[in-house]
Amino acid sequence: MSTSVSVPVAAVESQNPLSRVLRLIPGILLLAAIGYAGKVIEKSVNTYAKLHHVPFPNIEYVLWAIVIGLVISNLLTIPKMFLPGIATYEFWLKIGIVLLGSRFVLADVWKLGGISLGLVVVEIAISLALMTFLGRLFKLKPKLTTLLAIGSSVCGVSAIIAAKGAIDADDEDSSFAIAAILALGALALFTFPVIGHGLHMNDASYGLWAGLGVDNTAEATAAGALYSDAAGKMAVLAKTTRNAMIGFVVLGYAIYWAKRGQGTNVSNKALFLWKKFPKFVLGFLLISLLVSFHFFDKGEVTSLANLSRWAFLLTFAGVGLRTNFRDMSKQGLRPFIVGALGEVLIAALTLGLVLGAHRVWGL
Amino acid sequence: MDNDREIVDRNKREGSGLALDTWAVLVALALALAVRFHIFKAIPW
Repeated sequence: MSTSVSVPVAAVESQNPLSRVLRLIPGILLLAAIGYAGKVIEKSVNTYAKLHHVPFPNIEYVLWAIVIGLVISNLLTIPKMFLPGIATYEFWLKIGIVLLGSRFVLADVWKLGGISLGLVVVEIAISLALMTFLGRLFKLKPKLTTLLAIGSSVCGVSAIIAAKGAIDADDEDSSFAIAAILALGALALFTFPVIGHGLHMNDASYGLWAGLGVDNTAEATAAGALYSDAAGKMAVLAKTTRNAMIGFVVLGYAIYWAKRGQGTNVSNKALFLWKKFPKFVLGFLLISLLVSFHFFDKGEVTSLANLSRWAFLLTFAGVGLRTNFRDMSKQGLRPFIVGALGEVLIAALTLGLVLGAHRVWGL
Repeated sequence: MDNDREIVDRNKREGSGLALDTWAVLVALALALAVRFHIFKAIPW
């Protein structure tokens, strides 16, 4: 996990709003420069290959942006002035997801979201059981096992952070779990597309698999977009469906640990669910609703989709910049092994689910 | 430990983390309205 991009919140909070915003600008410009460089490289390589009749696969800007970010974060030291702005990549991710709602009419959301929801419920149940079993097998601390189970079943880092407070887990366990999830997410970026192409998966099936099998939202979005634009769209829908389940899973564990006297009691369950519910899911649905009722014309829908792509461009640059393999290697080996074993099995199981769904529903 | 600091930072952001979600939705909706009412011309890719 990259620690170099953490935001010194206390320092930022002590300043006035204008200087807080100004502090974000260098990092955001860096995200934009890296993302745009990725786009320019994609176009240049394709143009060169076409002009000179060189057989070269189309490598999406997504991969270039991630690789440039990885090179910078792993070979160079990022100056502190860039760090607050780099940390905004999650903000751009959520804006991108909300605006991506413009590419789904509600009928799509209903059909594909329904299929996703069914598969998500199965995936969550299998993942929770599997990670709990592996955690016990490798004698991990119970709360670390819980965090890994939540992180791998629902939505990566956000779910771990949400669960940490709810089950009173300590910082070290959270660090281990987050590091394992991020490391495995980084690996998934490079393995999922290769497997997808190897199996000749269509865009919808692959996107669904990426949304179900990759844990962190940014990495799931990137893994989908690396395959194709349509796969990226499907990956976001499946991942968003998973994200929507975060409150239920965390609530279940909060009650479990509270009953054992090792967690805080949840007095108002509805409020708890609302607080943990990712609000960008509602934004996504609202934009989709507006598009379904023709609030936007065709040209405006295209503009919204393009705005979503620009927001994702900043996100993908941030994914590369915050992935630091040196920091990841400093984390414990056992949680990583449990995470890796679990992720490989979950990836295989979700692949089976998706291929089954493809046969049944013809995705 | 640096990672612990990130966790603390993330937790603080989560306190405002829901606010981050809300801000993202509000900004996205503002952008959508700006497109709808032609404050932005066509956005290229």
